[in-house]
Amino acid sequence: MTLNGIRTAAIATASPTEPQKRESKMTVSLRQSVKTVSDPHNLDASVEEVFHLMLGVECQRDKTVPLSDSEAVTAVVGFGGLLSGACVFRSSGTAAMKIAAHMTGMEFEEVDDTVKDGIGEICNMLAGAWKGKVPELSANCGLSVPAVITGRDYKLHVQAPEFQLHHVYRFEDSGFEVTIICDGLQ
Amino acid sequence: MNEVRALIVDDSSVMRKIVERSLRQAGLDQLVVHEAASGVEGLEVLKGKQVDLILSDINMPSMDGLEFLRQVQLQNLAPGVPVVMITTESSEEHVKQAIQAGARGYIRKPFTAEQVKERVLPLLNAA
Repeated sequence: MTLNGIRTAAIATASPTEPQKRESKMTVSLRQSVKTVSDPHNLDASVEEVFHLMLGVECQRDKTVPLSDSEAVTAVVGFGGLLSGACVFRSSGTAAMKIAAHMTGMEFEEVDDTVKDGIGEICNMLAGAWKGKVPELSANCGLSVPAVITGRDYKLHVQAPEFQLHHVYRFEDSGFEVTIICDGLQ
Repeated sequence: MNEVRALIVDDSSVMRKIVERSLRQAGLDQLVVHEAASGVEGLEVLKGKQVDLILSDINMPSMDGLEFLRQVQLQNLAPGVPVVMITTESSEEHVKQAIQAGARGYIRKPFTAEQVKERVLPLLNAA
């Protein structure tokens, strides 16, 4: 699985309508703020906020929660601009159906298009909430539209990221993973 | 409140349903919803339907929400109709761009039904 296409789309949306302003803003640098940007509490706060407001449920970090069953659902939203990388959400198919059920009020028996759409939107909101915690990122980092992958036995590989946050959360009796991958910081 | 005709523009069908549910929870019982999955689709809807309220995402494929809003103004498709942007983008720059393009309100995702009520109902009451 490659993130290149998603990153390219995010760069294109960093400021889609005013490229001249985007160029002038590139003098802003995050190099001195790596510690702030990679603060793990920002990711936890973003996950809690999205799940509380959009699903009405609480979730906590929990490394012991079981993650996988036969099918996995992964959503990817790319970052472009001052920070390049991606926000990756991954859960079992069962957990994805539960999340979609909370979002829509519907019941699901399979990972259909509505479930995939819901997980993509969760990932989109997580990415937006996370970058919104750092003002320089909020204004100078674009998001791609979500891509959702389903299947069995696949892994995501990223070569030498600048930094990576990988947290596992418990949601009711299910778990999910959220990963922030930063492979470039200006 | 009397019948309200709303256009919801978002590439996520789940998010369109959540926005619709939030509007009903805000007290808009007689709500007629038109949906569009992109700015292009939104323009097509407005060419055939009259609406009282537009809610639009920003990050969408084929035509984003800001360009959609500019086209609505340029083509005079919904004169006087309040537009509220609902989006993950929350920087002052994005809000400024939305307001300059003609938006009357801005709601950041994730949101609560109460936030939708606070931002949308005053616009409808003023219209």
